[in-house]
Amino acid sequence: MLAWGSLTKTDVIGAIVVIALLSVVPFVGSRYIVGIMTVALCYAIWASSWDFMSGLTGRENFGHSLFIGTGAYTAGFLNVSFGLSPWWGFPAAAIIAVLFSLIIGIPTLRLRGPYFALAMLSGAVVMQKLSIIFSETTGGQDGLNGLSPMLRSQVSAYYFTLVALVVTVIVLKFIALSPWGTILRAIRGDEATCQAAGINVNFYKISALMISAAFAGFGGALYANYQLQVGPDLFDVALSINIIIMVYVGGMGSIYGAVGGALLLIGLTEGLRSFSEYRLWVYTLILILILFFIPNGVIAPAWVRVREWIIGRSAAFTRRASA
Amino acid sequence: MLKTIAPVVAGSALIAAALAVPARAEDKPILLGINTALQLQVGRDTLDGVRMAVEEINAKGGLIGRKLEVVTADEGESPKEGVAAVNKLTGDNNVNVLIGGYDSGVTLAELPHISRAQTIFLGTGSASPAIQQKVKDDYANYKYLFRVNPINSAKQAASLMDFIKGKLKGDLGYSKISILGENAKWVQDMVPYLKRNATEAGLEVPFAEFFDPQTADFSPIFAKVKDSGSQYLLIILSHAASDVFVKQWYDAKVPVPIGGIDVKSQDADFFKRVGGKAISEVTTNFVLRQPITEKSIPWWDAFVKKYNRAPVYSAAGAYDAVYVYADAVTRAKTTDADPVIKELEKTDYVSPRGRVKFDALHEVQDGPGNVNVIYVQWQNDGDRAVVWPKEVASGKMIDPPWMMKN
Amino acid sequence: MLDIIIYGAVISAVYALLAVGFTLIFGVARILNLAHGAFYALGAYCVYTLTANLHVPLVIAAVIAVLLVALFGIAMERVLVRPLRRLPPLAVLMMTLAVGLMVEQILLLIFGSEARNVPSLVESSFNFGGVLLSGQRLLAFFCSVAILGGLWLFMQHTRLGAAILAVSQDPEGARYMGIPSDRIFSIVMGLSAAIAAAAGVLVAPFQSVIPGMGLLPLVKAFAIVIVGGLGSIPGSIVGALLLGYTETIVAFKASIEWSQIVSVAAVLIVLIIRPAGFFGKRAAF
Repeated sequence: MLAWGSLTKTDVIGAIVVIALLSVVPFVGSRYIVGIMTVALCYAIWASSWDFMSGLTGRENFGHSLFIGTGAYTAGFLNVSFGLSPWWGFPAAAIIAVLFSLIIGIPTLRLRGPYFALAMLSGAVVMQKLSIIFSETTGGQDGLNGLSPMLRSQVSAYYFTLVALVVTVIVLKFIALSPWGTILRAIRGDEATCQAAGINVNFYKISALMISAAFAGFGGALYANYQLQVGPDLFDVALSINIIIMVYVGGMGSIYGAVGGALLLIGLTEGLRSFSEYRLWVYTLILILILFFIPNGVIAPAWVRVREWIIGRSAAFTRRASA
Repeated sequence: MLKTIAPVVAGSALIAAALAVPARAEDKPILLGINTALQLQVGRDTLDGVRMAVEEINAKGGLIGRKLEVVTADEGESPKEGVAAVNKLTGDNNVNVLIGGYDSGVTLAELPHISRAQTIFLGTGSASPAIQQKVKDDYANYKYLFRVNPINSAKQAASLMDFIKGKLKGDLGYSKISILGENAKWVQDMVPYLKRNATEAGLEVPFAEFFDPQTADFSPIFAKVKDSGSQYLLIILSHAASDVFVKQWYDAKVPVPIGGIDVKSQDADFFKRVGGKAISEVTTNFVLRQPITEKSIPWWDAFVKKYNRAPVYSAAGAYDAVYVYADAVTRAKTTDADPVIKELEKTDYVSPRGRVKFDALHEVQDGPGNVNVIYVQWQNDGDRAVVWPKEVASGKMIDPPWMMKN
Repeated sequence: MLDIIIYGAVISAVYALLAVGFTLIFGVARILNLAHGAFYALGAYCVYTLTANLHVPLVIAAVIAVLLVALFGIAMERVLVRPLRRLPPLAVLMMTLAVGLMVEQILLLIFGSEARNVPSLVESSFNFGGVLLSGQRLLAFFCSVAILGGLWLFMQHTRLGAAILAVSQDPEGARYMGIPSDRIFSIVMGLSAAIAAAAGVLVAPFQSVIPGMGLLPLVKAFAIVIVGGLGSIPGSIVGALLLGYTETIVAFKASIEWSQIVSVAAVLIVLIIRPAGFFGKRAAF
């Protein structure tokens, strides 16, 4: 339990408050809001899994959609083409995504800076093009349709996704706080020194990518189960970039910041609906302002300050109480 | 006289309305949810077609004593947006009926969500036969789906065959044609069918290929088609950049005329958008300022007067959808899905596009007298002439300017 | 065979034009400029507005468009990018990405999503031994070659060109020699934007002028620059020839569908085999 050392009681209470808030959504929102929030939770899973690999090791992955898409298509194939129960899709999606992370990760993870980013991006684009070319099996542009939902009720699907997100964040955060995560962060700082210290850097990087891919693929299967359809747009560069933006706005390297960023930006897109056609424009403008004035992100730094304030207050309170 | 009465009438109508409002819940408006690609001309025309019909019906006192109201949700051209749009209309706005759909892939993705919401959907744009097939496969869950427009792609393929055999082979005496389709579901089924049938009809098909809708350079295709010695290039495009396609075709003066299904070229302003380079291109359509039924020309003129532009096929389909729904509701005397579906199945309605009747798959029936495909050619100065079928033809088919023999 | 040579040449020339500006700004300022495609789109839309709405003659409109986009590039560098340069490179990358999205959104709001028509400068078409080529493509080819040649002369024979090369080879050293690197960055961003806009103007008549038109060229430029080596101008020209011809050969000999995958697959292969590209000096790992 050493790994939890750096988490304070305040962090745990904060997390519980957020989970509680998310749990009441089906009681206050319409069926539509529940649907949007289900998608937002999927994005949160993708964003936190991206943050685990890229935020910790500093290798920006511009093709996260590769894992999401393979996961979603795996779930789709098993359900639509082989008629298996949707539940099989989850483990299968994670396994296939991990497989892909090995195929692409082993030759490219030694690359630095923009090169790794571009290799991942190209990998995702290749998969997207292949999914269109082999349209006989993949359904081409239209993708696979008519997945049977795992849970008939949308509300139960929402809670299932919420549980999945909580588990994802706990697992990823646990690894990130363990000595294992410390090594990943050290790689971000100075890879050469790590190597000199006898750490098998490549092993750690590839394992991180595998874990990241597993959760992304799992999230892809979840998404497919909400959408009941998978298509080539799940391999889109735009999806990968969207996820990066979410993590960036949330604050890199904190995992929970990525979740906050995803919820914040999806909420923002929905909240801006009244701007109708100006919606995306306003969204991008807000994004530029954030990038310019708060380059370290919003969610994670904000929480750090709130926590300091709470701890300061409670310390003052205890002092007064004991006095 | 009128002037003095008007305020009184209006005043008493207001009072009556004020008194009536709290009386019955039935008096709240009937909501029509429009889910379509609102940023495209087909989408805007769907909306304008719906609005036109809604204004007409409301002016006559509404439907079973209730006014009609329109709510929109943009489905873009992506399944993700489409599902969100359907869920917003059904889950947030609680619409009574959905009208719209443009991209078959998007519509297919929406189907389970429409079924779950148990809301009637009147399709006005998607052509894939797989959509209505659901009605046959699983009536209990998918009886909500009706296609008012267009006729499905399998039937469009049969019609293309008729065009190939009757016009290209029969009238023009061509013996070698090429087929080019974009890589979308509804086209994938069509191209092999056309190739097989054209070959059986005694035509040679040296080239039949698909391309990625993102293709930006068609030179290799034109070179291959030209080298194959084809006399006509049959095209099936909807999402691809047809403007680029015709521009590159025109600029390279490809000595092979083109025609077939080009959804973007069905837009009234397509000719202008490509700088006139669509000249002599033939494309299918469903409505034009032609006396298809007695309603066609008055409807066309009313639309042009109201919106200052010529309508696209989706406007006519959407306009019809509102009336078809209104008829069914009037007969069912309720907006509850099940009775309305029963009445929709009995639809027999004469629209500007022809007669609208549904078959067992809730699919609009085609053929002479019913809604039908017409072949329209861009001619000089952006005029459009119907060149096929013979019975409704309004002009002679011309060759591209660089192939004119004189 | 002849058709492959001719079409391949035209495509390669345009690709080279797209890639050169992209590689230039990376080589000099280490900026991976994701707004590069936006410059290209802006060039095409500027010409469209000037000719269709303001009735400016086409040639003059083309020159004005290129200058306007160059100014836009300089402004972007000064206002949005420079303040972020002290931060990790991802900050600048995200900013250029956001600018690219913004430009696309604004074009969408003003012009809608339908394709716009930019008239051709040359309306006639030519026949080279049975290969049909539109005049505009021929023009695009010659203009691209001329611009690339001009760029080479500029880099080799002017003081400013020498300063740019100096900064790209050794920014520290250049600063000690008294070269104002900040100003060089601005100039290079302007130059890179101008070249991208020129490419947009040249191909607009035979390409789709739509708000999202910048994405594909950006991806191609990326691919070419990776194959040729990030930051190397000769590398980007060789990369353009390589990709342009491979795509054309695949399109002619196999199918146009597979030609779409060539560039991305090439990137992946190059990154795995020789990550620094053919002409890249910098180690990639």
